[in-house]
Amino acid sequence: MTTHDSTTHDSTIHPGGTAGPDGGPAAVPVARPATLAEAVSALAGSTGRVLLRGTGTATDWAGRAEPADLVLDTTALSGVITHNPGDMTVGVHGGTPLRELNATLAEHGQRVALDAARIDRGATVGGLVATADAGPAALVHGSPRDLVIGATVVLADGTAARTGGHVIKNVAGYDLAKLVHGSHGTLALIAEVVLRLHPVPPATATVRWPARLPEAARAAAAVLASPLEPSAVEWCGDGLLVRLEGSAAALGPRTERLLDLLGDSADGPPQRLAEVDAVAEWAEHAAVVDARPDDAAMLRIGCRPSRLPGVLTELVHELGASRVTAGLATGVGTMALAAEPAAVARAHEIVHAAGGTSMLRGRPAGSRAPGWGPAPSSIAVLRAVKAELDPEGRLGAGRFSPWM
Amino acid sequence: MSIDAAARRDFERVLGVDDVISERARLRSYECDGLTGYRVIPGLVLLPRTAEAVAGAVRVCAAHAIPFVARGAGTGLSGGALPVADGVVISLQRLRRVLEVDPVDRRAVLEPGVTNLDVTRAAAPYGLYYAPDPSSQQVCTIGGNVAENSGGAHCLKYGFTTNHVLALEVVLADGSLVTLGGDSGEQAGPDLRGVFLGSEGTVGIATKITVRLLRTPESVRTLLADFPSVEAAGEVVSDIVAAGIVPAAVEMMDTLAIEAAEAAVHAGYTLGTPAALVVELDGPAEECDGQFEQVKAICEKHGCTRLHIAADAEERAAIWRGRKSAFAAVGRISPDYFVQDGVVPRTRLAEVLNRIAAMGDEAGLRVANVFHAGDGNLHPLVLFDAAAGETERAEELSGKIAELCVELGGSLSGEHGIGTDKACSMPKMFSEVDLAVMGRVRSAFDPAGLCNPGKLLPTPRLCGERPGKYRPHALEEAGVIERL
Repeated sequence: MTTHDSTTHDSTIHPGGTAGPDGGPAAVPVARPATLAEAVSALAGSTGRVLLRGTGTATDWAGRAEPADLVLDTTALSGVITHNPGDMTVGVHGGTPLRELNATLAEHGQRVALDAARIDRGATVGGLVATADAGPAALVHGSPRDLVIGATVVLADGTAARTGGHVIKNVAGYDLAKLVHGSHGTLALIAEVVLRLHPVPPATATVRWPARLPEAARAAAAVLASPLEPSAVEWCGDGLLVRLEGSAAALGPRTERLLDLLGDSADGPPQRLAEVDAVAEWAEHAAVVDARPDDAAMLRIGCRPSRLPGVLTELVHELGASRVTAGLATGVGTMALAAEPAAVARAHEIVHAAGGTSMLRGRPAGSRAPGWGPAPSSIAVLRAVKAELDPEGRLGAGRFSPWM
Repeated sequence: MSIDAAARRDFERVLGVDDVISERARLRSYECDGLTGYRVIPGLVLLPRTAEAVAGAVRVCAAHAIPFVARGAGTGLSGGALPVADGVVISLQRLRRVLEVDPVDRRAVLEPGVTNLDVTRAAAPYGLYYAPDPSSQQVCTIGGNVAENSGGAHCLKYGFTTNHVLALEVVLADGSLVTLGGDSGEQAGPDLRGVFLGSEGTVGIATKITVRLLRTPESVRTLLADFPSVEAAGEVVSDIVAAGIVPAAVEMMDTLAIEAAEAAVHAGYTLGTPAALVVELDGPAEECDGQFEQVKAICEKHGCTRLHIAADAEERAAIWRGRKSAFAAVGRISPDYFVQDGVVPRTRLAEVLNRIAAMGDEAGLRVANVFHAGDGNLHPLVLFDAAAGETERAEELSGKIAELCVELGGSLSGEHGIGTDKACSMPKMFSEVDLAVMGRVRSAFDPAGLCNPGKLLPTPRLCGERPGKYRPHALEEAGVIERL
């Protein structure tokens, strides 16, 4: 059943400052629906501004949430609704932590092929869709938008609408799941999600190649031009990580080919990591992407892959960006910046000038750094969609400030 | 023709007199798409040569409240490009330049009239290709693929058009030109690109399309296997999936479909076999070879009666020619046919095929089946003879098959779209509330309702007041359109 209670604003619960202005204490009622019907009632039966929240792993992402009259907490809206192993699809409640879902699916040799860095902190499926979050596996499997095949969303007025279904191939109707992908809680609650699944690969291998960014970018291009079909290509700190997935028998020869292709860098030879070291390297990569420093803002950017090294280098030189990671195949990079509004605004400008997009992911409490760069050219449509689906502007106020 | 003279002058001013077609004989060649049963002669046909001209034409439509229908090659199978009698057709056939192929970032920038196959042709010199491959790929356009979110035989592994489009420049219903998506998968805000993909021309017209290109796989292995029953072939598909193998393609054909295809192209399929599977694997050589051995063993385990392995590219092409010709080839064994596009969860394939067979028997009609077994997308072909008065029965059976797919937890359409054809069946799959919300999204893009009206969503005018029940199309009753 729905539990309504009040919680005093507390930075451990609302790290982004959701209640009183500037983090001042204020009591905000919390609705915690456990079913779709309860979620519908919670929205239909309330007025004022609503902040949608899962496990709170991205509360301080995008634009700063303005004070809300109600927090709708999805953590009780959790669990598998239907899993069809033979069809490789699963339907879950939006508040289901992906970490737990993947643990269950692993018993069937299946997975949701999404490796966003914050999954290990308990991020929910709905939250990952709402924030369009993805990790290195995006090279092959894309973002959540490429894995979601159906959804039930609830609008601010309690209208529940279904889109897609339980089959991977389906072109009937508008794809509302795409609409909420990256909507940061501004258009609808993501109450249920149907995902397509992939087999857990029988074996994986990771090769680490010590190199600075420009040299790593050249090597990444060579790997991508080869027929080796890497499943992840990331630069982090002082080395390039290349992951291969496949059968145990085939992986040995493929890894040998990769080592031959890479050869020695200026900093040393490539190294196939032992499994335990590979796990540690990828965990370290995730930790850098998902860092939550007290004194810095985290920025995630995307641009043409070939432009990424140049953009990142500019951000390092001009603004002192640190903790840099570079998805040399996907064009997605992350970094830490001084949390000053002017510095972050300048970073947005640099990325935008290179044709890319950028979003703030985490900032110290009270920071006024802008969440976004310039508005996209489609802003008028975005506003029109918002006006149609949430005419009173109840959901996620501030998330797309200053455009919407 | 009901486009008034002032509007026509405005179109001519924006496009030039030569690019505005008004002669009835020429208009007639735009009266239908691949679903030839529905025909409407448009008021005018516009042939813009640039994105700016498309935008200009749409602004004239907006100013005069004239409905417009975008059209690529007109190969769609759901009546998505059916004209509106008092509206204009905007053909994108003259926007057919490949603007850029970037081998480093593995992408191409295309005008909407470029054919699907020409994308791969442009990419091939760099060892790259464009993955979605609908059967009509020689003629269908990338703009049409965007509108329909087209799939093809290889989408089980590689996904659909939506998984391969990075960015779209689109003309919205007010004539503004905006970009949806961007240079990477990372976007600022909701995925409007993804909403546009598969919206069947109802929220705007794509004028520039940026697609991802994939590296051509090192190894491709293809086999054709015969089975004593559809069930046995279905079990092979399940076992392949259970083994953790994601094939590039798994296609199934039944006796009738094979008979038709063989009559047309002599691709080497076995006449009389109850079911044949085409399985294709691709990837790095070591992976591909290992998995191919597994697939062969699975086929043998399920009583495969013939296993033909393509020895070279030519033999592979022959196998695919048989499969891809099946639709058109059905004309060889039946004077008329309807093709359906329903999807069921893969594990229910045998069940749905048995029920389709029973429904066919009951209706006294033959149904040929050729389908994407890996993703459960059926293409039942209902064979009939219009001259013998079987049209109505065939149409009813065809509609029931699509609705059966929904009943089994699937979808009305896997890749052909809803269009005009299945708009009135949408209430079988979605509630009134679901459809109303979709309608609100549509209104956000096109408040005046000028952009391909009457497609995708059911309207009382087209479907009658009772949702879901078949009724003759209003335009049919009015004698404006006819079915076959």
